[in-house]
Amino acid sequence: MKIKRLASIVMAGVMTLSLAACGQQTAPADTATPATDAATEAPAAEQPAASDATVAETSSDEPISLNMWCIATESDSNRHAYEAAIADMQAAHPEVTFTWEAFENQSYKTKIKAAVSANEMPDIFFTWSCAFLGDFVAADKVYCLDDAYQNYKDELPESMLGNTTYDGKHYGVPTTMNIVGLFANMDLLAEAGYTEIPGTYDEFIECCDALKAKGIIPFGCAGKETWCVTEYLESVIEKSVGADALNDIFLGRATWDNQGVADAVDTFQSLVTNGYFDPSGAGLTNDEVKNNFMAGKYAFYMNGTWNCADFAANEEFFPKVKVGEFPVINADQASLGQLIGGPSDTLAVAASSPNAERAADYAFELGKLICHYGYLDGCGLPAWTPYGDTSSVNELTQTVSEIVSKADKFVLFGDTAMSADSANTYLSYVDQVYGCQLDGKQFIEGLAKDIQ
Amino acid sequence: MNDDKRKKKEKKKADIARGLTIFVFLLPGLLLFVGILIAPIAVSIDRSLYDWNGFSPGTFIGFNNYVELFTNGSIKFMTSLKNALILAFFSVFVQLPLALLLALLLGRAETRLNRAYLSIFFMPVLISTVVIGQLWLKIYNPDYGVLNRFLDAVNLGQLKHIWVADPKTALGSILVPTIWQYVGYHMLLMYAGVKGVDIDLREAAMLDGATKWQVDRYVVIPIIKPIIRVSVIFAVTGSLKTYDLVRIITEGGPFQMTEVPSTILENMLFLRNRYGMGSTISVMLILLCFAFALLITAAFREKDE
Repeated sequence: MKIKRLASIVMAGVMTLSLAACGQQTAPADTATPATDAATEAPAAEQPAASDATVAETSSDEPISLNMWCIATESDSNRHAYEAAIADMQAAHPEVTFTWEAFENQSYKTKIKAAVSANEMPDIFFTWSCAFLGDFVAADKVYCLDDAYQNYKDELPESMLGNTTYDGKHYGVPTTMNIVGLFANMDLLAEAGYTEIPGTYDEFIECCDALKAKGIIPFGCAGKETWCVTEYLESVIEKSVGADALNDIFLGRATWDNQGVADAVDTFQSLVTNGYFDPSGAGLTNDEVKNNFMAGKYAFYMNGTWNCADFAANEEFFPKVKVGEFPVINADQASLGQLIGGPSDTLAVAASSPNAERAADYAFELGKLICHYGYLDGCGLPAWTPYGDTSSVNELTQTVSEIVSKADKFVLFGDTAMSADSANTYLSYVDQVYGCQLDGKQFIEGLAKDIQ
Repeated sequence: MNDDKRKKKEKKKADIARGLTIFVFLLPGLLLFVGILIAPIAVSIDRSLYDWNGFSPGTFIGFNNYVELFTNGSIKFMTSLKNALILAFFSVFVQLPLALLLALLLGRAETRLNRAYLSIFFMPVLISTVVIGQLWLKIYNPDYGVLNRFLDAVNLGQLKHIWVADPKTALGSILVPTIWQYVGYHMLLMYAGVKGVDIDLREAAMLDGATKWQVDRYVVIPIIKPIIRVSVIFAVTGSLKTYDLVRIITEGGPFQMTEVPSTILENMLFLRNRYGMGSTISVMLILLCFAFALLITAAFREKDE
């Protein structure tokens, strides 16, 4: 009996020890892994040194593997530009085994942040500029591109790197730049008696009333993705209080407690309460709303000019669509040529990449190609100096180019310009304004209180 | 006298040895339990006291996160709690009675169709929630959805809605698939209990003149009460933790009116980089789940007494 008990105790002890041993084995195993893996596991502060050491061991012709995450899903306007650019890169760099994955816009924001937290980032990743990338830079998770940029500065103006420069160092490769455009279905406008997009706000409202009278819904907006609501709201605020005031607020130089903003929010809300927006839009995604617009359900669609590519690709719809600038609401403070947008789409390199230096060069070359093909496709305006034959660029993108060439001020998209927490606080309030749960005064007071 | 002392000493030794044996045998399980359950809760409690973005070292801020949870106008925590409790209410008072009814009906007699019915009712539990969410989204679609088309077909067009985008119907549009999905799960739990009731008890009650309904009411249900209690706990805590269907069907909208604690938790962690606040919501959820589990157990015990 005693022997049995003793044996049982020994067995239980062995089991317990084996559990403890399983835990202990991990640490030595890490130190035994190749330098590349060790670099991935290293604390953030040590990463650049670790990756530099790895790079030093590999020549530029040595085969390596790089992977990339982006948002160019099958339904994304930029998909073709990414595919074409990657095909070119793979042909030019057979020594690099390049793999890439694309994720839906909203879920990507979650995924990349989780990857950054877990230190499991891909070598190259798509990111939005300003505060979105800034959070990762502040945490030492992004590789500095200053050295790599020296090889490309003739083709990529430094002015395009402003939104990805932190403490004087460059961390991102911009691809295209975009603004918010007012897209109009001219066939529907013609039914209401308009041959052009109205130029003044009063005419614009008259046009909306005329459309409503004809049973046509003026605006389509995806309430399921709040950034789509901001495309309308920010344009209304900018054309009411001016670009400088809005920029100061987004960049934290001024408080949200601004009566002009409150009035602009009330103006936006009056568009909602007047029934200019499709009520079913609150439950739809941006893709669904865009498809509805192309199917002729709405007269206007305010969204990023990257949509030009999709509109140009739709032969039936393309002849019907025009793009313009949202009219000025308060001419004392705002003017035409003040736009929402700027270079935001960016590629960055993870500091934890075992091949960070070569990934940086790869990201620049890839970014240039994505910019080139994206511009030809109409996904936006080029952040890089255009090259080759660009005569095939579609008319919509050319119109956008004209609008941008006349612009004097840009305000970057609010959810990109602000830090993650502030941006989501802002989006929450925008959502409540769209749902008419808050008025302009409550909007500014709430944001002034909750955004520190 | 010495013998007694020796015997006592030996008994004490044997008791210690037995206790030690039990302790050693339980140790691996205890370590797992502490490592998997207790330690993460302790870490969450600790982290809830920090302003921490997940990347950089956090700053200790005491109970500020708890205060902000209820005062920040962009964190709809009270709305989310209200929604979770509404889900719990409907789960307990609609889903479970339905599950109990099905279990009692299927448990009355062994017919060939029983297994088929069991499989049919249990099938939604086996289907991925993502698929179910997408399926119901299509049903609710205002343009081509079956629901609005059906209402049109039966001349009830005035009842047509933009189901997931209308604040009045959005939460209901989550409730229906939630109830539909988990009725089979609770039914199966209760069915196992119903089938475990001794057939002699049923026959004795029938011989005494009880109807089938009276047999269920006075014999079967009291016997399966522990299972019903477990089902109630699962339904309530499951409602407090609900996430997937909300995420797919409404994404917390329209206008954040269908947010539940887990969607806010996700928002805090992955969109706002507020891991401290995320931990605060986790702690609140854990406390609520424990509190409800204890309340339900106490309520059942009181009824028994």
